Amino acid sequence: MLIWVCALHCEAKPVIDFYRLKKSHDDNAFDVYRGDGMVCIISGTGKIASAAACAWIAAQNAREPALAWINLGVAGAAEDDIGKLFALDKIVDADSGQRYYPAPVVSSPLPARACLTLSEARQDYRDDCLFDMEASGFIYSALRFSSAELTRSLKVISDNRRHQTGRKRQQVSDLIQGNIEAIDIEATALLDLESEISALEFSAESWRQLLGMAHFTQTQKNRLRVLWRYLSNRDFSPEALLERLAQQKNAAGMIATLEQISYRDAEEL
Amino acid sequence: MVSRVYIESELRDHPRARRLLQRLHKLPVTEIEFYGEVFNPRAQNFRLQKKNPALIIARKNRGQVLAAPDGYGLGGDFNYYFSHMLNCIYDCRYCFLQGMYQSAHQVLFVNYEDFGEQIRQTAAAHPHRPVWFYSGYDCDSLANEPMTRFTEYFVPLIASIDNAWMELRTKSTQVRSMLQMEPVARVVTAFSFSDRFSHSKLEHGVPAIDKRVDAMRRLLDAGWPVGLRFDPVVYHRDYQNAFVELLQQVFAKIDASRLHSVSLGSFRLTRDHFRRISRLYPEEPLFAQNMQLDNGIISYPLEREQAMIEFCEAELMKHIPAESYHPCEWHG
Repeated sequence: MLIWVCALHCEAKPVIDFYRLKKSHDDNAFDVYRGDGMVCIISGTGKIASAAACAWIAAQNAREPALAWINLGVAGAAEDDIGKLFALDKIVDADSGQRYYPAPVVSSPLPARACLTLSEARQDYRDDCLFDMEASGFIYSALRFSSAELTRSLKVISDNRRHQTGRKRQQVSDLIQGNIEAIDIEATALLDLESEISALEFSAESWRQLLGMAHFTQTQKNRLRVLWRYLSNRDFSPEALLERLAQQKNAAGMIATLEQISYRDAEEL
Repeated sequence: MVSRVYIESELRDHPRARRLLQRLHKLPVTEIEFYGEVFNPRAQNFRLQKKNPALIIARKNRGQVLAAPDGYGLGGDFNYYFSHMLNCIYDCRYCFLQGMYQSAHQVLFVNYEDFGEQIRQTAAAHPHRPVWFYSGYDCDSLANEPMTRFTEYFVPLIASIDNAWMELRTKSTQVRSMLQMEPVARVVTAFSFSDRFSHSKLEHGVPAIDKRVDAMRRLLDAGWPVGLRFDPVVYHRDYQNAFVELLQQVFAKIDASRLHSVSLGSFRLTRDHFRRISRLYPEEPLFAQNMQLDNGIISYPLEREQAMIEFCEAELMKHIPAESYHPCEWHG
């Protein structure tokens, strides 16, 4: 599952249109748009709003085996051209001084830049970084639910010392729309990583069936999970395994059976 | 190869850091205050990072030389280790480094002189007694040699301290820098090997066995002391034939009588490392094998382990003199 976190609807609109996301009418705490394998949440402005939105949407998707995140929005810069897209490689919270480092695993063609997250909009552009109002809240919260490799913050320059276009909604949408293909490349790469991690998990349905076949102590459940995850990843059919386990009288017998199957399989390395 | 560089701000003008940045000038560079803020956070996925790790250029401020864990080493009385790098460029599934740190990034500590000073002080604390310094504990000693120029500094350092010995442990073929130096009798380069089957299944990115045997022979021919490490021996259905084949492959090119030392040990990990690595790689057969916990260490059931070691020792002894053999003892 890929989660887009945008402060404003005008920042999210190009993504909503590009991926044909549909507004969810089941959610009322935040505006949420859903699509195939992804969701976009409109957090509102500011780092606290961004952190709250991340936490809320993560809780909504707690059953997903892995969550990937993209914080997409506009930022200010001293000299960079309006409309230029950056991937943040360092996020500094202006209030606390706390630093965060997203960890891109896939080499990105996007230029990287540090970003200072402010609590209030300011016009005193500094030369060495971008400015926004959400990134530190976003990453603080997203990293509670995911890893730095699955967390990206992409910023399009909306204002600099010479031009301030950041307050006009249509212009913000246009600036992001102008980068939508590059943004899609980042999203696709992130989704690939997320899929790799998700694929390591077994199906919730087979696990539910397994637990229903006998009474397992917590220690037995832990062992069972290791064995089930291994065999699921080795292309053993869950149905065939469940059928074999049905012949066992109790939890210990089921675990012993799975161990024997695992040991035999693992001898091949 | 690394995908990006993080550098501690204060090291921007350090000569080794400058040389590295020149060498890696095409990569994105991010300045950080302290390597731990990138390397240590919990919210990292080692498995994903290992696909494309970064290089972190850092300074190690304390604890440059540490006492080696019990059982580590070649039987000397005073054993220490030091790590100019954390993490390895290779991706060996059985290696405890897979679960050692939160991050798969490679940290290079460029303040070699501080390591050198601690090595001098440590050796001086045991006058007239041999003191061993192991460099291949948290990294492969030589694999990153073109970038780190580790031997350029540390080999002459050890040569200059009368009672200091150093073991470089490697799976690499990076011996060119050593071949350009005069051999030092107290610097032993130990090459680790697993059989062909384990190599192909478990040692991702490690050079081919033949190439490493060639590198080993070049060092031997140049007069350097060289060691052999058959550690870990991994169980699989055909491990016996594969081990015999490995010995034939190695000793077809290596004169066993010239070896400094040979050691042998079966696969083992501390319980914590085993848990962490097997969670990272739940599909890995190595961690689904029949294992037992013994004294905090997870390894094969005693009977299987003994059978493996007895077989491998017997085969090994057909090739090497008994006095060069050092079994890896880890049972309490």
